[in-house]
Amino acid sequence: MKSTKYSDKVLDHFRNPRNVGTLEGDDVAVGKVGNPTCGDIMEVYIRIDGEKITDAKFRTFGCGSAIATTSMTTEMVVGMTLDEAMKLTRQDVADELDGLPPIKMHCSNLAADALHEAITNFRKGRGEIVEEPEMTSIPEPGCVVGQDEFLNKGVWLGIEDATEFKDLRTLILHSGDESVQQAIDLTEFTDRVILLTPEKEVMTTPELKEQLENSSVKLLTESRLLEIRGEFEVEKVLIFNIDEDEEYELFVDAVVIIE
Amino acid sequence: MAKGIYLDYQSAKPVDPRVVEGMSKYFSDEFGNPSALHQVGDVATDALEESRKKIADFINADEDEIVFTSGATEAINMGIIGFALRNKKKGNHIIMSEIEHISIHNIAKHLERQGFVISKVPVGQYGKVNLRKLERRITEDTMLISVGMASNEIGTIQPINEIGKLAAEKGIAFHTDAVAAQGLLDIDVKKDNINLMALSSNDFYGPRGVGVLYMQKKYRVNPLIIGGGQERGLRSGSEDIPGIVGMSLAVDILKKEMKPEVKRFQGYRDRMIKQVLEEVPDSYLNGHPKDRLASNAHFRFDGIEGESILLMFKDMDIAVSTGSACTSKTLEPSHTLIATGLLHEEAHGSLQLTTGRFNTDDDIDRAMEAVPKVVSRLRDLSPIYTKK
Repeated sequence: MKSTKYSDKVLDHFRNPRNVGTLEGDDVAVGKVGNPTCGDIMEVYIRIDGEKITDAKFRTFGCGSAIATTSMTTEMVVGMTLDEAMKLTRQDVADELDGLPPIKMHCSNLAADALHEAITNFRKGRGEIVEEPEMTSIPEPGCVVGQDEFLNKGVWLGIEDATEFKDLRTLILHSGDESVQQAIDLTEFTDRVILLTPEKEVMTTPELKEQLENSSVKLLTESRLLEIRGEFEVEKVLIFNIDEDEEYELFVDAVVIIE
Repeated sequence: MAKGIYLDYQSAKPVDPRVVEGMSKYFSDEFGNPSALHQVGDVATDALEESRKKIADFINADEDEIVFTSGATEAINMGIIGFALRNKKKGNHIIMSEIEHISIHNIAKHLERQGFVISKVPVGQYGKVNLRKLERRITEDTMLISVGMASNEIGTIQPINEIGKLAAEKGIAFHTDAVAAQGLLDIDVKKDNINLMALSSNDFYGPRGVGVLYMQKKYRVNPLIIGGGQERGLRSGSEDIPGIVGMSLAVDILKKEMKPEVKRFQGYRDRMIKQVLEEVPDSYLNGHPKDRLASNAHFRFDGIEGESILLMFKDMDIAVSTGSACTSKTLEPSHTLIATGLLHEEAHGSLQLTTGRFNTDDDIDRAMEAVPKVVSRLRDLSPIYTKK
């Protein structure tokens, strides 16, 4: 079956998504699943009156079935009790949509998980004891593998002559305002400047922050550089995404580490 | 309802009606087998050899350097696997780019299982193979370099002439997959020092199921298909005369029309790139800003996903393509986009528009009307899009 061969119901929910948007208030809970790396993020908002769900909204980044399953989930849950909604499965959502292509069952059918997360968050907020999966620990920052090996072969401890970075994909590790300034300045010489920080956002002065937002610098937040790789010189880096607890490779030409 | 719009010429091209007409008599009137010695067979032999000559001329090769195959995939298999197995004693090391067509990367895996060592050479942010990095990967065991003439996805044109020269200096064979570039760039195997090259008939607007391996005289490959010894024993099986004639007729048309046609595609491309980048906020061009195929416009948009883009275009009866993982068989995003240094989330939001012979200005108008609408509609749904 082609991955885009969808049932009429899926296509209907894709074309006319129900309940798009967000909800606000003390009686609202939100659940969020997925990550941009695998191509899907779903947010489900529910309004709760006592034990009953009275309203639901969603926002989704993802493929056709990601949008359709979240839309369908918000339709299904209104009127359910929290216990009933906790029992709603991905399969129920898929069935209600007259099925999904097998390859899409896992990756883009996470809306039920987002719903469960919203309910769990709500119950926790009410002070109920809720069983929680164990959290994986965040690795402590250590030395970057390859930093010494590739020193002056793509790893630079500062930028002396920005013209030497012309058209190079450059990863800059955030270390104070100087690194932010250099990232912004470098965009004059190359289209690809990435600023990496383990924090949720880049900590800097309000002026630099505004400049940064208006620049073409790509921000990689909640991320750590684990390893620098290449044959003879820097060609790739291994990045750890703290929020998603996963590693991935990224092709770059230069890494700037200001110490 | 207006006729559908086709902007995915990179994935398949219609056969030119003039080619269909010229082929037709070879199905039932001139149906002979070139191996037969009678007059019916002679007609087929003439058609086969005349086609061979026309195609050889078009790429500045000699007739006996053309081997007909069942398509470009078979030609690539012969050119790389056939060459590697035949020339094992010269070494076991092969260099190819990170952005070769998936068929070549899968061939690499196959050869690794047979004891060959494959090095992949990175490309820059616009998709060009880095010559310095290519040269540094050469060892005394390197027996073959394979770099496609242009990327089938992002349209970046490779420095083929420099790579051919480097390979010749080092005495290493040079194979190129010319499928994405054929009909769009002038191909001259002598000028560019190409030793092995794959072509497809369909990418000249000929029928599918036919291809060519160009094989320079002193280069030898092991055949993959053994049988009655057709194509000088290199590719057995009775020749597909209608298909081969079709490929040569498609070349005849290109000899006359390629120049103005490419100019027309360039106009479409430049207009699409200008308009999309101007009209859609937070949109970017993938691939090289200048050295790119005339037919190729490739974009990415922050905060949205490619399969959704494709489905919305489908609803408007516009056929487009994307590098998103959600449309691939493996659920991995395009290896080409990743090799240019994009993050997965950026590769997901890509849109590929490739034009061809039967596009009109009106097609481009309608596609350009659709792009901003589709993007803003999907961004309205997206939790991760915030306008810069």
